[in-house]
Amino acid sequence: MIAVLLLLLQLRVPDAAQFVGPPKGAPLAGEALEKRTNEVGRLLRCPVCQGMAVSDSPAEMAVNMKGQVRELLARGYTEEQILQYFEKSYGEFVLLRPKSPVLWMLPVAAFLLGGIVVFLKLKKLERAPPTANRQPFDSAQGRPPTEDPYLSRVRDLVSGGKQ
Amino acid sequence: MNRTVLLVGLIIAAVLVAVLFAGLGKNPAEIRSPLIGKTAPTFALREVGTSRTVDVTQFRGKPMVVNFWATWCGPCWEEHPVLVANARMLQPQVQFLGVVFQDKEDKILGFLNQRGSSYPTVVDDAGKTAIAYGVGGVPETFFIDANGVIQAKYSGPMSPDVLRENLQKVMKQ
Repeated sequence: MIAVLLLLLQLRVPDAAQFVGPPKGAPLAGEALEKRTNEVGRLLRCPVCQGMAVSDSPAEMAVNMKGQVRELLARGYTEEQILQYFEKSYGEFVLLRPKSPVLWMLPVAAFLLGGIVVFLKLKKLERAPPTANRQPFDSAQGRPPTEDPYLSRVRDLVSGGKQ
Repeated sequence: MNRTVLLVGLIIAAVLVAVLFAGLGKNPAEIRSPLIGKTAPTFALREVGTSRTVDVTQFRGKPMVVNFWATWCGPCWEEHPVLVANARMLQPQVQFLGVVFQDKEDKILGFLNQRGSSYPTVVDDAGKTAIAYGVGGVPETFFIDANGVIQAKYSGPMSPDVLRENLQKVMKQ
């Protein structure tokens, strides 16, 4: 028994304090702790799953990570500190909500750019003279005199003319 | 307008091709860990099958190879002989250490008895050490220099060449 206790005393796992310093918040317990664990776990990506949050994944890795989140919240670490801790070991990849505002802005920027291009194109079409590209119509033949020969043949075939 | 559209399209395509080529030139197994260049997180874990504690700080002063693995992981079986052979050759100049997580004691001991071992293997019960090292899947191997700084991380089974190549990064420090 004493040997087991001595062993347990000697065991040491890397501590969050090595990464993000001492806790900056109030320790949580009970229902509040479970609620916050799920909330913070939803902000972390399970590294062995396909785009799943730690809170939603049954994978052992995710369960371990959720356990770590619970322990850190119980010790008084804040959400910001916990996310920072995981980011320091896994990189920004582990954060389901990217920190860089550029990533959020890109779809909006692409939408605006597309809108501007369409607007300019429509404006140009509106400005163009309506007869600019039209050719004089040959009333005898019922077609423009310089019509594409291939198009003429198609027109003839469709109207049941010469083969 | 058409010329402008063509030019913009070409620029976008050129950027995409450049990004693609930059990515193709990289080995996906050599993951750029945010811990590279940082002091390795310290830990003291129980050696499998014993009540001895192995403290990682006791190996400071010589390069280390820390290998995270598990018996249920096929690629770990593949690289195990490479690690055992190189540890036999390079220890005590280089210290090898196995860290097993998400596994069972009897299975680990059975594996090591059957396949041999030449370096200590410790058990990371709640996976906290693996989390601190940013381990996603196994096997993952960290190369730590004599000052305790992580110089490289390799994800996946290592061939003798890969192991040697990564060892050079910590031997020259």
